[in-house]
Amino acid sequence: MRVVIADDAVLFREGLAKVLEAAGIQVAGQVGDAEGLLARVRADPPDAVVVDIRMPPTHTSEGLDAAQRIRADHPDVGVLVLSQYVEPHHAMRLLEGGARGVGYLLKDRVADVSEVIDAVRRVAGGGSVIDPDVVTQLIGRRRTRDPIQELTDREREVLALMAEGRSNQAICQRLYLSPKTVEAHVRSIFTHLDLAATADDHRRVLAVLAFLRR
Amino acid sequence: MNPRLRLALALAALAGGLVNLALLLLTDHGRSEPLVYLLLAILGVSWSFVAAGLVAWSRRPRNRTGALMVAVGLAFALNGLRLVDTPLGFTLWFLVATLPAAVLAHLIAVFPDGHPTTRLQRVFIAANYAATVPLALVQLLLVEPAQLDCDICPDGLLGIGGARPYGDAVLAVVGLIDVALGLLLLWILVARWRGASRPRRRILAPVALVGMVLAVLYAIRAALLAVVSRPAPLDVGFDLAILTLLMLWPLGFLAGLARIRLDRSAVGDLAIQLSETQPPGRLEQALARALHDPTLKLVYWLPDRHAFVDAAGRQVELPAAAGDRAVTIVRHGDTPVAAMVHDPALDDDPELVRAVAATAQMTIENERLQAEVRAQLEEVRASRARIVEFGDAERRRVERNLHDGAQQRLVNLSLALGIARSQVGTGSDEELAAALDEAATELRRVLTELRELARGIHPVILTEAGLGPALASLAERSSVPVAVAAVPPDRLPPRVEETAYYVASEALANATKHAGATAVTISARRLDGELLVEVSDDGVGGANPEGSGLRGLADRVAALDGCLRVDSPAGAGTRITAELPCAW
Repeated sequence: MRVVIADDAVLFREGLAKVLEAAGIQVAGQVGDAEGLLARVRADPPDAVVVDIRMPPTHTSEGLDAAQRIRADHPDVGVLVLSQYVEPHHAMRLLEGGARGVGYLLKDRVADVSEVIDAVRRVAGGGSVIDPDVVTQLIGRRRTRDPIQELTDREREVLALMAEGRSNQAICQRLYLSPKTVEAHVRSIFTHLDLAATADDHRRVLAVLAFLRR
Repeated sequence: MNPRLRLALALAALAGGLVNLALLLLTDHGRSEPLVYLLLAILGVSWSFVAAGLVAWSRRPRNRTGALMVAVGLAFALNGLRLVDTPLGFTLWFLVATLPAAVLAHLIAVFPDGHPTTRLQRVFIAANYAATVPLALVQLLLVEPAQLDCDICPDGLLGIGGARPYGDAVLAVVGLIDVALGLLLLWILVARWRGASRPRRRILAPVALVGMVLAVLYAIRAALLAVVSRPAPLDVGFDLAILTLLMLWPLGFLAGLARIRLDRSAVGDLAIQLSETQPPGRLEQALARALHDPTLKLVYWLPDRHAFVDAAGRQVELPAAAGDRAVTIVRHGDTPVAAMVHDPALDDDPELVRAVAATAQMTIENERLQAEVRAQLEEVRASRARIVEFGDAERRRVERNLHDGAQQRLVNLSLALGIARSQVGTGSDEELAAALDEAATELRRVLTELRELARGIHPVILTEAGLGPALASLAERSSVPVAVAAVPPDRLPPRVEETAYYVASEALANATKHAGATAVTISARRLDGELLVEVSDDGVGGANPEGSGLRGLADRVAALDGCLRVDSPAGAGTRITAELPCAW
């Protein structure tokens, strides 16, 4: 698997490269700005890119814009956007073109190298990754009539993992539950939230996040 | 005007008139009816001009109109010489006979300014006087005495006898000259009327009317004299008509003055109007109405800005002294309060302008204060907006520093620790130690960065130890040599210390970053209840006081009622001085 890393912080870029290389992921390029990233992807599309949201020249959302361009122009390239802030708005912008092969992760996650490696692998494989903090913030938000309050604790755990972009199988492993139990929880959740059930993981994460942002 | 001079002139006019009367009664002329009428009319003209002239002279000492009127009156008294029945008497009379008309023409030509304002007027006045005594002398030499209406001088005048063959021609030329002068005067009056502003026409109107009629009559008379050599009855009739008009002329002038007196009632109206509350700008209209000058503008003096502003608080330049606008400064005691910019014609009646200004003075002062407040409000609004903008920019800067600095380093630290953790049990001890070293280094950096950032937001030493130690610390950390020349020995109110420190650190930052200075001196000393902060450098100068940094400083200093001065000539270093009142 080949990835390109885009971040203007050289130290971080190199540390991340080291971590990915150690996990057997080939780092095909390191760039410091969005222009460089787009050029590199055009020249030789990798399996995934890891991109910092704030980069030169304006240090606002260059990384996010570049990620959207890559999603539009190279749908097969997985995009993992890193940010120092939890900002659901950014996550949703990223998901506008569909949830396949997209990730939005807090930079802090690098403290657990396996988590970052896992996220890169999932995005490269076409999965979705939404940072647990984003999901926590969305689930915890106050609502006037909150169907989430009607869910059991276990169901809420399953809902959060779905929102993070996990598949049923991944949820089974995380929560040590059988596939049948997880399926039952998912059905119950969709009923409570009045959502149309779907087998497609990508559509499911979009539906859940859309509900949470409502 | 000197009262003695006034008395002397009045007595002279009276005496001249009485001498004339005496001559009339003591000679045979008293039996000639037309001559009696003429002489009485002339006396009337003489006295009315002298009287009106004296009034005008004392009211407007700087305007020569009054003096010219007195001169006209006295000149008319010379007509009495006509009654001295000797060749010498006739000769003297003939020499000065045209002077009264000439002085009158002069007066009309320059009314109401009292002095010529155009080249044409100057030419006219010169020609006018050349046509008096010199022309009379020519006539005496070249014309037969009989033709000049002298029955008693058969031997010729001035004792010069001999044949005078060109008498008719000379008289015709004299007549033509008179016609030309009459037309020229008419032309001057018309031009003057057409070029006059509204307030000026008010002053000009009665005089211009009489003047035009006079000019027409004179021209007709002169023409008749040129055609018919001696139309005696007609001549007397014309003379009587002219003299009657002339007698009315000073009356018209006095009426004009009285009209100004009546205008004093406009001052009363103004006072009533002013007692009613008026929206801004209406005072200007009221003054314009009272002075009959719709172009009048009222501007207010702002002492702290050393400038005039209009009612809306906008700065206004006063017109130049000798332009087509005149300026009257309204004062309260010795201090200027406002200025009225008006038509120069109003300068002819400075008393009315002063009366209007005095009446409106309280209201003007009131409106001036309002204009001042509006101007200050405008400034405060702008300053408030800048302070908010500055605060926002400052927060953006802090966020950016945190994001790109400390936060990023903490992320790096997380990564280093993550790598170290992944190496536990799998990698070598050296690799683990290297990863942990990297984490420790990153931790030190992040601590340094957070300290710097915190100090940038607020220096703790300033609150703990005061301005002196804070400035010393600022100097120690500077990348250019800084000498702290003076610091206040005791603590000052926190707001003063903070602002002083801010001025010093901002000025030092400018000197370091923009001015390329190699030495900076900072001093802060107490002076009469104020703290005087001064930062000077030897850099390139040319700092822009309107730039965001210095503007922000000025706002901050102004918030303490202090004042900031930036002295930064290009190439000669920068000196920034802040005066901060310490009563906080």
